Amino acid sequence: MKILVADDSRVMRQIVIRTLRQAGFGDHDIVEAPDGAAAHSAIGEEKPDLVLSDWNMPGMTGIELLRAVRGAGNNVPFGFVTSETSDEMRRTAEAGGALFLIAKPFTAEMFRDNLSSILD
Amino acid sequence: MSDQAVLPTTNDLEDIAGQVWAAFLDDGHEVVPSEDQQAPFDLSASVAIMGAFEGHVIVQCTTQASRDVASVLFEMPTEEVSEAEIGDALGELANVLGGNLKSMLPGPSTMSLPRVAETTHEHWPSTVEICRTVVTWRDEQFTLLLLSSDQQHRLERDVA
Repeated sequence: MKILVADDSRVMRQIVIRTLRQAGFGDHDIVEAPDGAAAHSAIGEEKPDLVLSDWNMPGMTGIELLRAVRGAGNNVPFGFVTSETSDEMRRTAEAGGALFLIAKPFTAEMFRDNLSSILD
Repeated sequence: MSDQAVLPTTNDLEDIAGQVWAAFLDDGHEVVPSEDQQAPFDLSASVAIMGAFEGHVIVQCTTQASRDVASVLFEMPTEEVSEAEIGDALGELANVLGGNLKSMLPGPSTMSLPRVAETTHEHWPSTVEICRTVVTWRDEQFTLLLLSSDQQHRLERDVA
């Protein structure tokens, strides 16, 4: 399967990819996007099986990305990996069609709990 | 903002720092509260919070400490770390600390993207310190600060 990791921080993309490996998902193909707009293009071109997106990104935010994807009729499994996790954001994410919201700092166990049903 | 709002404390800052270091900077060195609460620093990474709470979350450290952070986060030798990688790593540290603190502050609010600069080029006028701590990791110190721009907090400080 193919996983798209969208985050404007290169180091955070690396940490997410490292954690995917530690969680046992290292055999999947990983595609990276440095912001929401690049992620939007990559979803069309790469056709990932799962999108892991930051929330706060320059240009197109994570929630704007999700709304654009769903607005185009694409139901790719989508989850947020973000440092901000208020109840309001969780409600907004769920209403937008996100499957989960993982808070930074995260652990491999948190990735396993949220991703196993999608990737295994 | 409500006068009754319970704001984060030094203990909260230390708890969040412990979680962030354990998850992302676990190289066998623990992060612990520093005995010396006056630490040297060259760089400041900050995020601004805007909304029901207005203020800044700031991480300050020396250049060497920032190189150590980037080295562990990027999994590369310290001497090979670039300035861009230092900025990215330190900025992300402020971003994660800020996001966790924001969830403890009155809402709704939004948070800016992180900004990293030499400390001599940074200041946050008309703010008051809500809480601060200095933590030590790898014999390097990191100052963590939550500042408020709220007029009421400044008045309370002036009265005190």
